[in-house]
Amino acid sequence: MARTFVTTAGVAALTGVLAALSAPAMAQYPDRPIKMIVPWAAGGDTDNIFRPFAVEFQKHLGQPVVVANVGGASGTVGAREAQKSAPDGYTVYAVHDYIHLTFYAGISDVKYSDFEPICLVAATPSVLTASAKTPWKNWQELADDARKRPGEITVGATLGSTSHIFPAMIEKASGVKFKFVSYEGLAPRMNALLGGHINLTDSNLTQKGKVEAGLLRFIAIASEKRDPEAPDVPTLKELGMNIVYEVVRGVLVPKGTPAPVRAKLEEACTKATKEPAFAQSMKAQGTRVAYLNASDYGKFLDKIDSESKVIMTDLGLIKK
Amino acid sequence: MLDLLWHGLVNVAQWKYLFPLFAGTFIGVIGGSLPGVTITMTVIVVLPFTYGLDPLAGLAAMTGVYVGGSTGGLIACCLLGIPGSPASIATTFDGFPMARNGEPGRAIWLGVWASVWGGLLGALFLVFLTGPLAAIALEFGPWEYFSLFVLAMAMVAGLTESSLLKGLISTAIGLLITVVGHDPIGSVPRFTFGSEFIGGGFPFLPVLIGIFAFAQIMTDLEKLDGSRGQPAQSLAGVRLERFSHLKVNIEIFRQPFLLAWATIVGLIIGILPAIGGSASSVMAYDQAKKFSKTPQLFGKGHPEGIIASEASNNANVSGSLMTIMAFGIPGDAVTAVMLGAMTIHGIQSGPLFISQNPDLAYGIYAAYILAHPCMLLICVALMPLMLRVTSVRMAVLAPVVLVLCVVGAYALNNTMQSVYVLLLFGVVGYVLVKLGFPLAPLILGLILGDQIEINLVRAIMTDPNPLLFLTRPISGVLLLAAVASVVLAIWQHLRHQNRVVEEEPDF
Amino acid sequence: MSIGRDGIAGLVLLAISLVLLVKSFQLPSLPIVPVGPGFYPAIVLSFMAAASALLVLQDLMKGRPAAAAAATVTPSRNYRLVAIAFAIVGAYVVLLPLLGFRLATVLFVGALQAALGRPQTARQWTVLAAIAIGTAMVSYFIFERYLLVLLPRGAWTGF
Repeated sequence: MARTFVTTAGVAALTGVLAALSAPAMAQYPDRPIKMIVPWAAGGDTDNIFRPFAVEFQKHLGQPVVVANVGGASGTVGAREAQKSAPDGYTVYAVHDYIHLTFYAGISDVKYSDFEPICLVAATPSVLTASAKTPWKNWQELADDARKRPGEITVGATLGSTSHIFPAMIEKASGVKFKFVSYEGLAPRMNALLGGHINLTDSNLTQKGKVEAGLLRFIAIASEKRDPEAPDVPTLKELGMNIVYEVVRGVLVPKGTPAPVRAKLEEACTKATKEPAFAQSMKAQGTRVAYLNASDYGKFLDKIDSESKVIMTDLGLIKK
Repeated sequence: MLDLLWHGLVNVAQWKYLFPLFAGTFIGVIGGSLPGVTITMTVIVVLPFTYGLDPLAGLAAMTGVYVGGSTGGLIACCLLGIPGSPASIATTFDGFPMARNGEPGRAIWLGVWASVWGGLLGALFLVFLTGPLAAIALEFGPWEYFSLFVLAMAMVAGLTESSLLKGLISTAIGLLITVVGHDPIGSVPRFTFGSEFIGGGFPFLPVLIGIFAFAQIMTDLEKLDGSRGQPAQSLAGVRLERFSHLKVNIEIFRQPFLLAWATIVGLIIGILPAIGGSASSVMAYDQAKKFSKTPQLFGKGHPEGIIASEASNNANVSGSLMTIMAFGIPGDAVTAVMLGAMTIHGIQSGPLFISQNPDLAYGIYAAYILAHPCMLLICVALMPLMLRVTSVRMAVLAPVVLVLCVVGAYALNNTMQSVYVLLLFGVVGYVLVKLGFPLAPLILGLILGDQIEINLVRAIMTDPNPLLFLTRPISGVLLLAAVASVVLAIWQHLRHQNRVVEEEPDF
Repeated sequence: MSIGRDGIAGLVLLAISLVLLVKSFQLPSLPIVPVGPGFYPAIVLSFMAAASALLVLQDLMKGRPAAAAAATVTPSRNYRLVAIAFAIVGAYVVLLPLLGFRLATVLFVGALQAALGRPQTARQWTVLAAIAIGTAMVSYFIFERYLLVLLPRGAWTGF
């Protein structure tokens, strides 16, 4: 009995000490480095956008923001890791639209609503890109050819992810039929496109150099208006398809993160996205800075999620 | 072209570029020599510094890391029997036995000098033939990749003298490991038995470190007798012997064909994205053994094995640099990070890169060339210190190395998952070694497993006609070579069968 | 005709490949991929099953005097130590996320050192502790500070 008491007292004392140690820490969040989970490999598109962001973000947070690349299984390993992290603000999750798609495709059971929004950071318009080994100079020629031989034009895509959804939306809007071939990641897709092993793929304006050299052709861009970086590329809207498709990237935290911590992160994010240096590096990534605050970003995520569900249902990819 | 290169060399020889290059090479050698710390991880460490630097200074630092890291791996290979980085796997096969035979200095310096010569020979191709060679990469569609990988496995399965059958089973085990988890095409979970742990799959790096580090350390522990901790028997009494750099170089240049062929193998594997240094080192090793006059000495501390592996993994770097220079397409994670750094500085990568930015392009070539003498200097300075590892007691060495392996596995993607995989495959690797299964084919199966499947399915998705594997010229030739390789291996095996007595496995 | 080590290994591998082969046929396939996710594993597994079966056959056909000769020259091996070492590494891996990297590493390096060579004097114990603490601190410092890897913190200790 006495021994139990001693143990209990010991545990209580220890807990007290730990609580005392951690209490002031909470008061002045953040007091140690923050881990930013990027669910893809280093050097990829998402990594290239969030690394410059982390530089600005840490400037306004006052603590280092360390990018942790948690890659694997179409980004779902990183999603799961972020979901089960402690909701203390020391783990933030860099996300893009794949979170909705992998959920509906049944690849992962992590949903966007397992997180709290902090802010939207950037949007990268998708560009339908053709190999120079194909005969088409513009969308009209491509569409005519595609109608003549349905299901024969090959499109490289990460199945069930953004690079698959975007061409699939074009299929639906124009009534053509493509043949999808699995190529995960932009670099392997570019390799195959340059070699003519696939005809089309989804890319972005970072590939402009190859277009100028005549190795690729931009067919159409999925933004609202033509991009000043590539003024000759028509938008899909001009071509009569009501498609605006941008890969949007933002920051989330695990559900249950305290409101003051979220407010601090949101404030730092707001300031970081306004930095001119950040805008500059985004321009190099064929991306625009697209800031939304936490509550707008939350609504935006709801909207994207219901749209994704519709698209995945239309494509017959839905599992839940 | 030569004047551009000369201009580049003079340019990079300035302190503001030479210092980052030297520092990058130094960090690369250190990172490469620590088992578990990959070149990718090391290059990411350098990345933030490059934001503030002149673009060429940053790229020079990264090139230095790449070259230094590709060489640094051999130190752990020779001294611990554990590859310091995946790119130097095959160096372990002969480097460690040579060190154990009392010649650690010779083993390491053969490797370092072979790296220097292989790397510089690769530089010749890089500077003068980038355009045409990089074009080869584009000719490779899914059919060609598939056939190439089949050839690679056919070659390596025949590596083992003792049992061809066990070599084949090892390959199959390697392939099977990559199949577990989410499938690479549609992310369907395979063979997970409902477990989230298995569902995460078995990433290459923790499996590799697990198999090698545990197999090595545990077989050493078997030989420790009881409670007194003496040095590992395998390295007991090994002192740095007297060796001469001249002799080592003569040894390398006595076989110019070996050096050239290993370099070409490394270069070609480097140009083709998706496989990288680890495959090139294993394949060059295999080639060296096939062409050698003394194949029976391989695996027992044969200099040819070290030369082939190290020359090819440094040549592999020049190959990977080619596709990024020619097309702006990264061939591996390291060049992907380099490309990211270029983009941040607003440099438009792509086919016009070399003609639009000749200063920068030739600056990178110059940095690549100058990284080799830097690496040599660093090795000269560090080696006496590194060689003292051989006098550390096993009781101290084993836990420290294991901590490094655990941290390295964790750092791969910052999850405990990889650490559990490390431990699991530590046990598997130890058991396999005890049962006499060769590790080289297993490792190649691991490296290629994913890629074989992806390219096979891609080929079928693009065109369902299976005859394309035979009728596409490059693919057909590669498959023919694969068949020839297996036939040759069986024939060699039958011829040797009477002479070779199956040895008690003793890793 | 008796079964040896190779034969047993072959049988185990054969069993594994057959079980997984059955599993591979049950995998669901995607509508847009012409071959299902079980296609490639089935090829690998059939190959492995065939090779394992051959290995068993080869082992059964082989005479066994060589094994006896080999056993006599094998030096005595300390398998107990190997088992202890594996157990300590296992404990380390389990404790890592609970105690945090720093504490777990100190314990692990200390324990494995003691298991491999039990210190006799107070001085040796001090050296052991110094190495344990030194390894943990130096690796923590290098990885966290310079290599930008946030090592696991303890779920129990928050440290």
